[in-house]
Amino acid sequence: MEHKERIRLNIGPVHPAMHGVLKLILDVEEDTIVKAQTELGFLHRSSEKIAESRFFSNYYPIMDKLDYVSALNMEILYASTVEKAANIEIPARAIYMRTIMAEIQRIMSHLIFIGSFGEDIGNITGFIWALRERELLMNVVEKISGGRLAPMYMCNGGMFYDFPEGIDNEILNVLSTIENKVSHEYSAMFTKNQIFISRTKGIGVLTKDMIKKYGITGPIARASGIQRDLRKVSPYLAYDKVEFDVPVADAGDTYSRFIVRTKEILESIKIIRQCLKDIPPGPYKTVVPWVMRIPKKDTFVKQESPRGEMGIFLVTDGSDKPYRLKLRSPTFFALRALEELLVNIRVADAFAIVASMDPVMGEVDR
Amino acid sequence: MENLSEKLKNEFKKDIEPIAGQDNLMIIKLNKKSLIKKLSWEIKRYFDLLYCLTVVDYAPVFELNYVFSNYRNNDVLVIKVNIDQKDFNIDSISDIFDSANWEEREAYDLFGIKFDGHPDLRRILLPEDWPGHPMKKSFKVDDEIRNWTGLDMKF
Amino acid sequence: MEDSNDFSYPGMYEIIFMKSQKFINAVLNWGRSNSLWPLTFGTSCCAIEMMTVGATKVDSDRLGVLFVGDSPRQSDLIMVSGTITKKMARRLLTVYEQMPDPKYVIAVGACNVSGGLYHDSYNTIEGIDRIMPVDVFIPGCPPRPEQFLDAVKVLQKLIRENKSKAQTHGKSI
Repeated sequence: MEHKERIRLNIGPVHPAMHGVLKLILDVEEDTIVKAQTELGFLHRSSEKIAESRFFSNYYPIMDKLDYVSALNMEILYASTVEKAANIEIPARAIYMRTIMAEIQRIMSHLIFIGSFGEDIGNITGFIWALRERELLMNVVEKISGGRLAPMYMCNGGMFYDFPEGIDNEILNVLSTIENKVSHEYSAMFTKNQIFISRTKGIGVLTKDMIKKYGITGPIARASGIQRDLRKVSPYLAYDKVEFDVPVADAGDTYSRFIVRTKEILESIKIIRQCLKDIPPGPYKTVVPWVMRIPKKDTFVKQESPRGEMGIFLVTDGSDKPYRLKLRSPTFFALRALEELLVNIRVADAFAIVASMDPVMGEVDR
Repeated sequence: MENLSEKLKNEFKKDIEPIAGQDNLMIIKLNKKSLIKKLSWEIKRYFDLLYCLTVVDYAPVFELNYVFSNYRNNDVLVIKVNIDQKDFNIDSISDIFDSANWEEREAYDLFGIKFDGHPDLRRILLPEDWPGHPMKKSFKVDDEIRNWTGLDMKF
Repeated sequence: MEDSNDFSYPGMYEIIFMKSQKFINAVLNWGRSNSLWPLTFGTSCCAIEMMTVGATKVDSDRLGVLFVGDSPRQSDLIMVSGTITKKMARRLLTVYEQMPDPKYVIAVGACNVSGGLYHDSYNTIEGIDRIMPVDVFIPGCPPRPEQFLDAVKVLQKLIRENKSKAQTHGKSI
């Protein structure tokens, strides 16, 4: 057999088709990848070390920037952890408000995924469309919290402010726009688009065994047929009071990972509508002191972030700062599968596969 | 969960002691660090993945919290193992739970714990020639480290 | 014998050259300021807001800022958006050195201005002016998309007035 020349390609950390600052080291023969390695750590900002020098109430901005595409989910996770450790009960209205904000953020995160996935496979129109719809929700978040990307809306015991007057109607209007666009308009651009289908179907198949081997959770696992969503398995916030489905696909390829996330947008819209109908009046926060001491204990809380199961292991020692705060990030586990997944495929497909993992490096490197 | 708890008690007797956990969380303290591999094989029957590995620095003792979980239900098991700073290594469980691979590399990177039998024990987040292990409590973030731009590193 | 019709006098050509060079410079600066092609060096949160700048609502194309090539060889403006860690610093400098002269730098976000939220982190650089010259700083964590446009406006003014770092310290003509 003819000897093929092997070339080493370094892709990233600065590369237009690479999400964030992930680096791939690919050994390539002609157009086929024979070995793939990933290199992380280009955005290691030491969030865990910083936590040890901040009060419990002062760590929210760092959680915002941890997974900057789904900042509110991170805030809610941290707030739940601190409240569980300090035995703080939050009012019923706050629970519903948090559920609404978490789902708004989930839609925004998935829209960013649709956009950047489109961009990576050459579908720039999809990118522009997805960001256009996201901007509508951005305006809503801005009206509610005052911030755009990093809202800083949660605090220990609830939220900083109540919802403004008449925001319900605006949210419902925006949601119906997005529902319409995602379920009808986007299918022309993505799921009925022959180029999109041929670039994604059957590419990068993750089997159930691989998912279990690497410990992958979230939409990636659900795209491979694993029916597990923490919102169903261990309902937190108001998820046990609303009805929704968990979208699952069986193929495990890039296409199904896209489909699962698109369907999740529609499910999130359902959840927000039910929550807006059921939201009780009353106080929106339990007033707790800004500086508080939490007795010595270990707390572990996990929640379903848009990228998978995010967890916090909080060790407190009776002082006003965490003794140790460990962040369990879902994409950190998912990216390890790339070393096996990228072998024996074309270089051009590698970008589609990496984009379908939807990595946010802030959360991977922490 | 209860089955596992009973079984582990019969198997390991004095070497493990359960600590009161929360609703779906079981905490077990393992007194001998050399038994971690044997314990992992037992746990493997009930749990699918190593969910996260948290190292806590109570210098001179470091506490390793192995958090296990599975895909079927909401059960979480935490295994606590203490290792001493003088004898700073423990058996790797990455051949039993494959998801432990990068978590152990991270613990090695940030704390300097050596995992015996790990297939690829390199730093993962920081460059290879980064001085020290920054998550230790003894590592203080002073002006020298803050003013350093890192341009002299090779990696 | 010298020709009496020759208007030449010592230093005339130098004066003509200098006058025309000033004019040429003005034209060049006008052109450069209106076609800033950015290299999007997005590492973290600010990169998401930078995506919004290129998309429909804010639309930086109006100011001639086209997010096209994404290659350092074709860019004259680098928007450093997002935290720069110690591991990333040398990569940033490498990319910066690959860009052709004259090159302009916009430091986006609190991290790149002064360290921002991560001022006491062990692995970040407190402000990229420690490693490279910066023309415009955008504060904010992250800045609003409109602030990006404002920064571009400021940079255009600097370029037209010959005050950017590349023109005052660099090798540009």
